[in-house]
Amino acid sequence: MNIIKGSARIIGDEVSTDIHCSSKYLPGKDATYIATVAFEQVAPGFAKAFNKGDVIVAGKHFGINSSREQAVHVMHRMGVSAIIATSFGRQFYRNAINNGLPVIECDISGIVAGDALEIDLVAGRIAVTAKNITRAVPPLPATVRTLLEAGGLIPFLQKHPDWNVGGEAA
Amino acid sequence: MGHTIAEKILGQHADGKPAKAGEIVVAGVDFAMIHDARAGNALKMIEKLGAKSLPHVKRTALVLDHYSPPPNMEAANTHVAMRAFADKHGSPLYDVGDGICHQVLPEGGHLTCGDLVVGTDTHSTTYGAFNAFGTGVEGTDVSAVMMTGKLWFRVPETIRIELKGPLQPGVWAKDVTLTMLGKLGAEGANYRALEYCGSGVSAMAIDDRMTLSNHAAELGAKAALLEADEKTFAWLKAHGAAAPKPVKADADAIYAQRIVIDTATLAPQVARQHNIDDVVAVPDVAGQKIHVALIGTCTNGRLDDIRQAAAILKGKKLAKGVRMIITPASRAIYLAAMREGLFEILTAAGASVEAAGCGTCVNITGHYIAADDQVVISSANRNFKGRLGNPKSEIWIGSAATVAASALTGVVTDARTVAGGDWRAAA
Repeated sequence: MNIIKGSARIIGDEVSTDIHCSSKYLPGKDATYIATVAFEQVAPGFAKAFNKGDVIVAGKHFGINSSREQAVHVMHRMGVSAIIATSFGRQFYRNAINNGLPVIECDISGIVAGDALEIDLVAGRIAVTAKNITRAVPPLPATVRTLLEAGGLIPFLQKHPDWNVGGEAA
Repeated sequence: MGHTIAEKILGQHADGKPAKAGEIVVAGVDFAMIHDARAGNALKMIEKLGAKSLPHVKRTALVLDHYSPPPNMEAANTHVAMRAFADKHGSPLYDVGDGICHQVLPEGGHLTCGDLVVGTDTHSTTYGAFNAFGTGVEGTDVSAVMMTGKLWFRVPETIRIELKGPLQPGVWAKDVTLTMLGKLGAEGANYRALEYCGSGVSAMAIDDRMTLSNHAAELGAKAALLEADEKTFAWLKAHGAAAPKPVKADADAIYAQRIVIDTATLAPQVARQHNIDDVVAVPDVAGQKIHVALIGTCTNGRLDDIRQAAAILKGKKLAKGVRMIITPASRAIYLAAMREGLFEILTAAGASVEAAGCGTCVNITGHYIAADDQVVISSANRNFKGRLGNPKSEIWIGSAATVAASALTGVVTDARTVAGGDWRAAA
């Protein structure tokens, strides 16, 4: 997954994934159901119109105050291929990577719904070619890329119990 | 170019060189903690993986504090699984009533200056009071630490906060953290590390320094680091910790922001209902009626908090209609408070004392539910609507001194205006 291509889906600032993408306030509902209504209150129709492979483009503090790893499982179900945001809530950022979902901090100005995004995790670049937007982001180290490819931290450690991915240093 | 404490500790645990803010490193973890609100899933996952060996399991403490004592059978069953896991693998285990994770880890001598410590709780920032990089993670992370002893970290930028001058008697570290919340807003330091420094920090006892690092979690901080001094070394030695490896920031370290607080003139602060960053000075809201007074939690359930409360309530009675509950942060604190006669003073005044645990903070044990329209004043760290079980009640947050002074008068009260409110100076 060194290069990810997907259509931009826009969501605002300060979105709590605990509130809008987990069963924390919908006890008893499973991930399959949550995936059909996720983010409804902050972006009506968001989940319904979401296509597999789309990229969530969020503002400040995406996943703020959120601790539930379940939110990432829901987003996998929705088919989210990556999230780019101005910034992430700290625990959400960890949970996303630990569960195999690429998250990239990046200036999102000028990106609108439907833009064809290209994310290069190795080179550290976000681009919307049609609009001549190219932005450099810190490239992900090989360890984190391998971890994402493996589908998350635990599957990664089953393959690489010493964290050694060879070649590039961790 | 110099480095912050966070860059140095994370770097030392990765490739030995200081890391740079923004980098992602894989670092060796010195100690890990998982509590009973997260252990259920993580232990199941480890069993499922059938990891042949868990080389770091003996450096991972299991703490039964959130559901202490267990309010339902699921929690009781999780506790049984945790005890069995600890027996099988030799992990240190802190059982019901032993205390809150962030108190028992330092008290148990599990960490020292320069260490990297993770726990499944946002308030794991507490360990920063001992010059250790402590940060909150999830169950998956702690499972990974048990299996490999390592974890990945994004190296945080740092905000340096200088506290100028010792706090007045009756004013505590909690009043500083509330001031910071008023200034930066909840999550205003998201992803960043804090470094607290200055004469205000040097003057603080260890109990108060732990509040400073602990309550940084509400600012969204990843860690809240203090430099070590003779007080730190003496405390760690008394609790059997390993030899300290103190880490200082370089004079030319790069900071995201610098803040100076005039702590010498600071007044007591409270956060009003529902929002931890709706912070006002106590004198500005003095007279606000309260019904329930709570002292406890990993933020302010320590011995100095209980001593301060006892100094205010000695020989007095709670105001008519006020209920007060004290929940020490650990069994060691409970025992020390008993030996000092503090519980006799508080119980005679009309307060109740409960076994050590997290119960004061959130409606898990169900012991603290306020009635409709009642106002709770608490020494805890969060006051979301309904956090104590009734969304029609209000939670106000202050220091233990403010809580005790308010319990005495029945209205929000500045501890500086009541006898015993200057306890720290008198001690």
